[in-house]
Amino acid sequence: MQKLVVIGAGMASGRMLEHLFEAAPGEFDVTLFNAEPRGNYNRIMLSPVLSGEKSYDEIVTHDADWYARHGVHCRFGERVTAIDRARKVVLGASGDEVPYDKLVIATGSNPFIVPLPGHDLDGVVAYRDLDDTNRMIAAAGPGRRAVVIGGGLLGLEAAAGLRLRGMEVTVVHLPGHLMERQLDPAAGYLLRRALGERGIEVLCGANSKEIVGQDGKVAALRLEDGTEIACDILVMAVGIRPAAALGREAGLTTGRAIAVDATMTTSDPDVLALGECVEFEGQLFGLVAPLYDQAKVAAQTLLGQSAAFVPREVSTKLKVTGCDLFSAGDFAEGEGREDIVFRDPARGVYKRLVLKDDRIIGAVMYGDTADGNWFYGLMKDGADVSAMRETLIFGPGFQGGAPADPMAAVAALPDEAEICGCNGVSKGMIVKAIEGGAHTLDAIKICTKASGSCGGCSGLVEQVLALTLGGEFVKPAVKPVCGCTDLTHEELRRLIRSKSLKSMPEVMQELGWKTPDGCPSCRPALNFYLLVEWPLEYRDDLQSRFVNERNHGNIQKDGTYSVMPRMFGGMTNADELRAIADAADKYGAAVKVTGGQRIDLLGIRKEDLPSIWADLGAAGMVSGHAYTKGLRTVKTCVGTDWCRFGTQDSTGLGIRLEKRLWGSWTPHKFKLAVTGCPRNCAEATCKDLGVVCVDSGYEIGVGGAAGIELKATEPLAKVATEAEVIDITVAFLQLYREGANYLDRPHKWIAKTGGLDWIRERVVDDPDSRRALIERFDISQSVYQKDPWADHVATRAALYTPLADLTKEAAE
Amino acid sequence: MDTAILATPRPFIAATEVWLPSGDRLVHGGGDYADLTAFEAASIRQSFARGEGLPGKAWDEERPVVLKSFDGSYFLRAEAAREAGLTAAVALPVFDGKKLLAVLVVLCAGDETATGAIEVWRGQDGLLMLADGYYGAARQFEWVSQHTHFPKGQGLPGGVWAARAPILMRDLGSGYSFIRSESAGAAGLSTGLGLPVPLPGDDSCVVALLSAAGTPIAHRFEIWDARAARVGAAGGAELTDGICDRDGPLWDEDNPPRVQVWQGPIGQVLGTGLPVVLSARPGLAAGYNLMVALPIHRDGELSHIVAWYI
Repeated sequence: MQKLVVIGAGMASGRMLEHLFEAAPGEFDVTLFNAEPRGNYNRIMLSPVLSGEKSYDEIVTHDADWYARHGVHCRFGERVTAIDRARKVVLGASGDEVPYDKLVIATGSNPFIVPLPGHDLDGVVAYRDLDDTNRMIAAAGPGRRAVVIGGGLLGLEAAAGLRLRGMEVTVVHLPGHLMERQLDPAAGYLLRRALGERGIEVLCGANSKEIVGQDGKVAALRLEDGTEIACDILVMAVGIRPAAALGREAGLTTGRAIAVDATMTTSDPDVLALGECVEFEGQLFGLVAPLYDQAKVAAQTLLGQSAAFVPREVSTKLKVTGCDLFSAGDFAEGEGREDIVFRDPARGVYKRLVLKDDRIIGAVMYGDTADGNWFYGLMKDGADVSAMRETLIFGPGFQGGAPADPMAAVAALPDEAEICGCNGVSKGMIVKAIEGGAHTLDAIKICTKASGSCGGCSGLVEQVLALTLGGEFVKPAVKPVCGCTDLTHEELRRLIRSKSLKSMPEVMQELGWKTPDGCPSCRPALNFYLLVEWPLEYRDDLQSRFVNERNHGNIQKDGTYSVMPRMFGGMTNADELRAIADAADKYGAAVKVTGGQRIDLLGIRKEDLPSIWADLGAAGMVSGHAYTKGLRTVKTCVGTDWCRFGTQDSTGLGIRLEKRLWGSWTPHKFKLAVTGCPRNCAEATCKDLGVVCVDSGYEIGVGGAAGIELKATEPLAKVATEAEVIDITVAFLQLYREGANYLDRPHKWIAKTGGLDWIRERVVDDPDSRRALIERFDISQSVYQKDPWADHVATRAALYTPLADLTKEAAE
Repeated sequence: MDTAILATPRPFIAATEVWLPSGDRLVHGGGDYADLTAFEAASIRQSFARGEGLPGKAWDEERPVVLKSFDGSYFLRAEAAREAGLTAAVALPVFDGKKLLAVLVVLCAGDETATGAIEVWRGQDGLLMLADGYYGAARQFEWVSQHTHFPKGQGLPGGVWAARAPILMRDLGSGYSFIRSESAGAAGLSTGLGLPVPLPGDDSCVVALLSAAGTPIAHRFEIWDARAARVGAAGGAELTDGICDRDGPLWDEDNPPRVQVWQGPIGQVLGTGLPVVLSARPGLAAGYNLMVALPIHRDGELSHIVAWYI
C-alpha cells in the first residue's frame, strides 16, 4: 500500500480523496493534515452559516465516520512545518515525521489583510474559515455595527449575513461599483440597490485609510476623505493569496503559487499540488469548479492514469437570499465584441451577453438568472449563436428551428402579462384598447395610462400596437438621444427628474438602455443632465466627457493642447502677462490673442499640462474653460473708465458676471459680452447673452450666434441696475441649463420653447421663479466653481504621463 | 437520524385546513385533523360568508388573523373546538394580487407544555412590528417579541421582508444566531420558517413559524422557488432550501431538486396555485404522515411554495 500524505483538508483535496477511494479503494494509506481542527466542509456555504440560514453540521462534507471508513489518519489541528523531499517525509507541528511515497499539497489560500494602520486590532477579522465565521457570529448582535472592507462576493455575503443577524452594516469598496470583477456597472447598480433595500450601506470609490482603535479594539474605519465609520467589528474581505510558503520552502518551483503541470504534478514528480495554492500556466484559481477538475486529474495522476487539467470558464452566483445574480466569462470592453442587452426596469432585470465571432464570451444577469446555465453551456461549448442571435437574450424558450422575429417575445406574452408596471396595464388591456380604436401611443396612454408614467414601456406598447394593427401602425418618428435608447432628450430629462435617477447605471437600467454602458453620444448628455439635476448627489464622470473636457484643454491637430487661462472680463495685468510669457518660453508655446479677449498658449504637450497649469496657477490664474460646454468668456469694452462714449462700467460688470458664472457646465458653450454703449465694441448682440449699456440702464439680449449660423440677439429685458442684470443673467443661464437639450446652443433652445415669452416669464417677470433659479445655480456653483487645473495638478497629474516613451525605446 | 425518537413529540399544530372561495362563501377544501374526528365532521359541514368566522374574517380584512381564545369569539365552531381540546387558531389568506385564492387555517391545542410560535409581522413606519402571534407556552418569548421590531434585512422577519422570499433559519436558540436568541433558546425554539404573505395593497406582511424540538410545528421544512426568473420558461420549481429531521439537509447548491407542474404534491400546488394539506398518503417525503404546502403569489406569478411535514 502506498503512503499518501495530504496537506490540507479543504474542498479540493476532499474531492480528490473521494475520487481516489472510489477508483482504487485500499490502494493508499492516507495521512491527512489540516491546520484547522476539523475535516472537510463546504467552505462556500459559510455565508449561510454566518447568516443563520444553514448550520455548520449541514455543510460538513466528510465527517469522522467517512474518514474512519476510508482508514484516513487524520491529523486535524496540526500544521505541517516542513517537507523534506530528500527523505520524503513531512514534519508536523507535533514534531512527528510522516513518511510519504506521494505527497499532495492542498494548503489553499490565506486571506489578504490590507496593511492599514490598526489592522492588527482586536475585532479586525478576515473571512476565510469556520473560526472567522464564528468570530463574526460572536461579535454580531442587534444594534452593533460592522464595517466590511471589500465589495466582492465574499464581502457582500458577509455583509448580508451580519445584517440578518441584526447589525448595522457598511460596505466600503474601493472600485466604482460592486463585484467589479464579475459584474458590469449596470448589474453592480442593481446589486447595490438590492443591498440598500436590506439596510446595508454601500460606499463605492471609498478608500480606507486607517483603522481606529480604542483600548486595543477596533472602534472605527477612517476613509481617505476623513469620513469615520464607527464599528464593533471590521471584516476584511479584499481577496486571497495562495498559501504557497510550504512548497516554496521545500524548494518546489513557485511563482505566485506552487507551479504545477497539467497532471497537477509539481516540479517534484512525487509531489502533487492542487487548489488555491497552485498556479497553472500562470493562472491562479479561487472558484470551486476548476478545483474539482484539478481534484479529478490529481486522483488519476496518483493512480498512474493519464489525465490533463484544462482551465475552463467559471460562473459566479451570490449567496444572498433574494439577490438573483449570475456572471460568467469576460464582459470587459474589447475589439470586435458585441453586446446584447435586455433590461426590464419594472422587474429590476438586466441581462447582457457579450459576443465575439458569433460566440458568447461573457454573460451577466441580474434579477432573472433562469437562463444563466444555458448561456454558460453555450459559452463553454463555444457554440455558434449566429442563427439565434436575434432571440438569444430571451433564452432557450424562444429558440426554434428558424430564427424567430424579435417581436415573437411580445407576441408570446399572455394577455394578463403586465406591460406597464407603473400603472398595472396588461397586454390584454392594451389590445382591447387598440381594438376599441386607440391606434397611437398617445391614444393608448389616454385610454389605459400605459406608458403614461415612466415611459419605459413605450417601446413595448408600440410593439403591441404593431402586432395588433400590423402594417396599419406607423411608429411616430421621434429622434431619440442615440441608438442606445428610444427616449428623446426631453423625455430623458423628464424621467431623470421624475424618477429621481441619480447615477448613470441607474438611468440606464431604469430607462431600459439597450447597450450596457451607453455610447459617446448619450454618455456626455447623461452626465450633463445628471450633474445639473443632482449637483450635490451626482459625481461628475470624467470618462463621459469629450477629450477636451477630460484633459481640460483643446486638443490640436498635432495632438498637442492649447492652454488658455481665464482673464476675467478680458482684463489682465503685468504679473499675469509675465507668468504667461515665462510659460510660453518654458513649454515652447506659440502665443495667440483670441477673439474672446484672452491669450492662448498653443502647442503644449499632454505630459506638460499639469506643469504649465501649476505654473499659471501659482500666478493666480485659473482655467479659462476654453474647451468646455460651459461658460467661456465675458467680452467687454473699456466702458466708462476709459471710453468717451461709455455709459456704464461695462468692464466691471463683465468681470462681476464672469466671476459669478465661471465653472458652470452648460448644454453647449456659452459666451457673453457686455458693451458700454450701443456702438457695441464688445459685439454683445451676437452672443448667447449680451448686455448693451445705455444711459438709462442695461438692455439684455439673448440667443445670438456668430458661428456657422449668424443671428442677432433678441431682447429679453431692459433693467436699471447691475444687480438686476446679474440676477437675470444667472436665472437665464440656469433655465438654459435645466431646459435645453445637450448640444443645443441657446438660440436653438429658445426656438424650441416657442419664443422668448415663456423664458421671460420665468427669469424676468416672476421674481419667485427667478430667485429659485438663482438658488439652484448657486448650489451647483458650490460644487462646480473650482479650478479644474488645480484639481488635476493635485489629484490626477500622473495620468498625464505617457505610459512609455516608445520613441526612445525604438532608438535604443 | 433516529425516527423512533421522532415519533414521540406532540405537534404544536393539531389540525390544518384549507378554505376555498366558492361564489360568495368559503367552503372546506381539505384538511388534516388527526384523531379529532368530531371537529373534522363539524368543519366539513361548515362554510363561511365574507367576514364570518375566522376564515371569513381573514378574507374580509385581507390579513392573517390570530385567534387565541374561542370562547365568546366569532369562531363559529367554538363548541366543537372546545370538545376537541383546541384553544387557538391562525388564518393565513392566500392572495394573488387582489384575488383571494384560499385561506389556510392552523389550529392549536395549547397547554402549558406546547411551545412554538406563529407570528404575524406587519410594516409600520419602515419597521416590522408584531401585529399578532400565538406562542403557546412560550410567554417570555412572546413578551420579548412584542417589544421587538425589525428594520429591513434584520432578523428572520426583516430578512424575509427585504428578500421578498421565504427564509429558513436554523439553531434559533444557540449563541447569537437569532436576534431574539436568548429567549428563543429558553423557549426551546430551534427552527424558524419566515414567509412573505402578500396582501392586497401591502407588501410588508411576514409570517414566522418557529418550531421547538419538544412540540414541533414540523419535522421537515421545504422552500421551493417557482419564479420564472429562477426556473425559466419551462416552469416548475426548485428546492432552494430545506431541512429534515430524517433526511438532514435537503438543499443542493449545484443541482437543486426540481419538480414540474402536477408532479407530486408540490407539483399539484404549482398546478392549482392553491395550498394543500395531504395526510396518510403514500409518496409523502421521508415517510411523513402529513404535508402542508402553502403557495406564495407575488408579482403576478406563483413565486414560492413553503411546505412542512409532520
